[in-house]
Amino acid sequence: MITERTEVSAQAACATGAPSRAGVPPWLLWGGMIGLVQIFAIATVQPLGVSTAYPQLVGYLVDKIAPGFAESQPYLQKIGTKIGWEVMLIVGIALGALLSRLLPGGDRTAACELPNVFRASWARGLAAFVGGFLILFGARLAGGCTSGHMLSGIAQLALSGFLFGAAAFATGVLTASLLLKRANGGN
Amino acid sequence: MDTMQLLGLLTGVLFGFALHRAGFSRCGLVMRGLAFRDFTMLKVMLTAIAVGMVGAAALATFAPDVAHLKVKSLYVWGVLVGGLVFGVGMAIAGYCPGTALVGLGGGVRDGLLAVAGGLLGAFAFILAYPALEPILIQPLDLGKLTLHETLRLPYLPTALAVAAMLGGIVVWLNRLEAKARA
Repeated sequence: MITERTEVSAQAACATGAPSRAGVPPWLLWGGMIGLVQIFAIATVQPLGVSTAYPQLVGYLVDKIAPGFAESQPYLQKIGTKIGWEVMLIVGIALGALLSRLLPGGDRTAACELPNVFRASWARGLAAFVGGFLILFGARLAGGCTSGHMLSGIAQLALSGFLFGAAAFATGVLTASLLLKRANGGN
Repeated sequence: MDTMQLLGLLTGVLFGFALHRAGFSRCGLVMRGLAFRDFTMLKVMLTAIAVGMVGAAALATFAPDVAHLKVKSLYVWGVLVGGLVFGVGMAIAGYCPGTALVGLGGGVRDGLLAVAGGLLGAFAFILAYPALEPILIQPLDLGKLTLHETLRLPYLPTALAVAAMLGGIVVWLNRLEAKARA
């Protein structure tokens, strides 16, 4: 019985594994590419990190409207409000995504392929906004986000990266599972 | 534009392009990924981390002059609480700070809204910093610890071993997914 079952599952694995060998699956190709971008970043300036640029950009803009703001805020004193590598990195990310969308083979759907969690469009929009608020507040408190703490932190074997990853996944998995449960109940 | 700005822009374009091609403009990818209904997010992340891990350790070992590593400090309370808040936000938005920009550049409304929320969140943190710093950032700051230094292991072999483990997880996830589809 047991040998029969393992044989069947081995055959199934072979069958599904075969087509993927014909071409590199997108997750492997682009995941590997992100790794190479990381190596390029480390070799030129510093490891990838996205979230510092948000408060730098905010500080830069608010200081234009209300001069003296950047000087009055200890956090901005610490990280600076220069339009440097970090801020240009986030400008580049948006441009790179636009480029990918416009070039052949790019994903041009504006849809999120979101499970039916938020019934109304305005509710989903609010969730994106509130979620955006929380990821930046949390990332700045922790000193990094998915890129700074995970793509870069864990890649450097930094203990802070492992702790951040564990904490973020703990509440992330819980929240997403609860939301999707609600979505399935609605279906 | 100075060299730093140019390098930042170039790195960002490559990073954003790859993230968009991997599918991260769609916030559903992250939400389903966190609920373990789709392993694409995990597979992309773990692959990228493993490649970066080997690259970082190889650079540090063979070309230390160009290895601009930057290990972040482990201030336990801030990293922990920040991570917990971050996870909730990531699940609700379906984005992290980087992929929200990919959504924005990819023409997804939710990406624009998440970036806008992010700028407000960053503004709120700037204002909250003087109050939070003495309670969550200063205490229990253990410094820039790494796994290999803490365990007194050589860097490159440790990085290769952990990267191989991550690779193993990716292969396992891929097999699970293939089996579920079959």
